[in-house]
Formats: sequence, C-alpha cells, structure tokens
Amino acid sequence: MNRRLEMDLMRLLHGELPPDRARELTARMAREPELADRYRRLEEGWQGLAAPPEAPAPPGFTGRVMAHVRAGAEEAGTTLSWSLAPTWVRAVAALALVAGLALGAGLGRTPVPASSPSSLSMVAGPPEGLGASFWTLVEDATAPAPAIPGAAAEAPR
Amino acid sequence: MVTNPSTTDPGWEILARVAAGEVEAFSSLVEAHQQRLLRLCERLLGEAEEARDAVQEVFLKAYRKAASFHPQGQVYTWLYRIAVNHCLNRLRRRRLVQFTRLSPEPAEDVPAFDPPDGAPDPEAALVARRRWMATRKAIERLPAGQRAVLVLVRFEGMSYRQVAETLQITEGAVESRLFRAMRRLEAAQEEPLSQVSRGRGLT
Repeated sequence: MNRRLEMDLMRLLHGELPPDRARELTARMAREPELADRYRRLEEGWQGLAAPPEAPAPPGFTGRVMAHVRAGAEEAGTTLSWSLAPTWVRAVAALALVAGLALGAGLGRTPVPASSPSSLSMVAGPPEGLGASFWTLVEDATAPAPAIPGAAAEAPR
Repeated sequence: MVTNPSTTDPGWEILARVAAGEVEAFSSLVEAHQQRLLRLCERLLGEAEEARDAVQEVFLKAYRKAASFHPQGQVYTWLYRIAVNHCLNRLRRRRLVQFTRLSPEPAEDVPAFDPPDGAPDPEAALVARRRWMATRKAIERLPAGQRAVLVLVRFEGMSYRQVAETLQITEGAVESRLFRAMRRLEAAQEEPLSQVSRGRGLT
C-alpha cells in the first residue's frame, strides 16, 4: 500500500478528507478487504490511545501561580530580560558581540615589526616599588627575566 | 478545542489591564484557563507534577507578554501556543539531559494512584489511569514534534488546520508528523517488550 493511500486512510479516520475523496475511499474499502482491514487497524490503534483522566486543579493552584507571577514581575522590573527585548535589539547586541570578538582576534594578530623579536611572553617581575607580582609583556622571550627579589630563595629545586 | 477567533474574548480586556500594570487582574485569566492548560500539559509531558510546574511557567510567560499581545484571535489560542511551545522545549531539554547522562533512563514505574476520595467510581478511575499510563509509555517514544501533533489531534480534538496554526507549521507538516507518529506507535505495538525497553533514546 502506498504512502499517499495510507495518509488518506488516516485523514478519513480524522475526518479530514474532502467529502468526494472520502466517499470514493469508503466505496473502495467495500470492494477491497485488505484496505478495509488496514483502516480497521488504524482505527483500533487510534481509539486505543487514552487520555489521562480528568483531574481538578489542585487546591490553591491559582494562588501558587499568582505568587510565581508576582515574583517574576518583580524580577522583570529589576533586570533586563533578553527574551523580551525586540528582535532588532537582540540582533544589534549579537552583532556588537561578534564585532567585538573579531576586533579582539584581529588585534591579537597584529604583526610585530620585523626589527623586533617576534615572540611575546609573560613573566612575573615587578619593577621596584610595585607589588609582589604582576604580569608584564616583554618583547624577547630569550631575554633574562627581571630578577624578583627573594625569588631565588623560593625557587623549586 | 480552539473556538472561533471572530468572537469577542473577554480575555483581551484582562490582558489590557494587566499590561497597564494591574497584576491582580491576571488571576481571573489563571482561574479561567488553568484547568485546560493543566490537562494539555499533562498530555504533552506525561506527568501531572511536571505539568503543574509547566503551567506556572506558561502563565508567567503570558504575563510578561501581555503588553505585546495583539488581539487577533482567542486568548486561549494564544495561551495554548505558549503552552505547547513551552512543553516542547521541556521535552527537548529532557531528551538532552538523558543523552548527556549517557545512561539508560530510569525504570518507568507506574506511579501509585489513589483515586480521589468521593470519586463516583474509584475502580473506573483506576482503569482509566492504567490506560493512560500505557498510552503515555507509547507516546513518550515519539519525537517532541510528533507527540505534540498527536496529542493536539487525538486528545484536544483539533483539526489539522488548527494544529498548523498553533504550532505555526503547514498542514502538510501536520499530516506528515501525524502519519509518522502513527507508524511508530504501530511498530511499537508489534515490537517485543524487550526491544521496547532497549530501543528508547534520541530520535
């Protein structure tokens, strides 16, 4: 049995088939037991699907929902909800984010002048008068790092 | 069941008041629609407790969207759409959690059911509950989109066109999803039980 015919049987079962086609298919089922049997099985399966029994809303449900709504309303009043922002606002924000990331990535790849050693590395070493540790960039990774007062004594062996 | 959108819906006025800042006006909308939404969410999610949580979220979403509601139809249709989408998202998240756990789903025990006191026929209620549990097991194996279409047509009595409007898909897509869902259900009925328990997972 082809898919279209099966779909028509399903539509017939759901009352969705145009009247002309429904009459035609019903007449055909009367002549073709195999088709009638297929329809019967579809119908049995469909009718066999049972809904959950009706149950009343639990007592106090409206109050529970309203408490949730009030809490949500207060929260919405103090924070920006992106899900509620207009589409264009979200689109602009997304574009700004992407542009920012792209710009950041581009800056990270800025070529270093040929006269300079190419690599950048980070070493800890505060100039005199500054705090115990901070990050600084030096142009030549092979250059000796500035001495850290007291670091030699703590260096791992 | 979705009603004729051309009729006047008092829900519009309530939403207008809510949008103007009258939070408490929203409670009458909750009163009017909670029962149908609870029923819908339980049918989609399969669990009464999760359905309650979902309905709370649905009403909160509706409250937040009250100002942007355009009265083009029944308020209930609008709530319905929010509820269905919310449940579909929950179902997808649930599948994702199951996937990332990389473990079999917990055994599905049929929860104990105590017919409510004073129920006209506790035995009939128990039978109805058991039938629903069997159906639930079957439809839980469907992908979220197919499940939604099946529930809306079978249990909510919607036409293909109404389902298409609610889910914002074409009627052809409704028909196709429903067809695939019915095929899967049939195949599941023919599958041996051992395969049924092994064959669950992402679809």
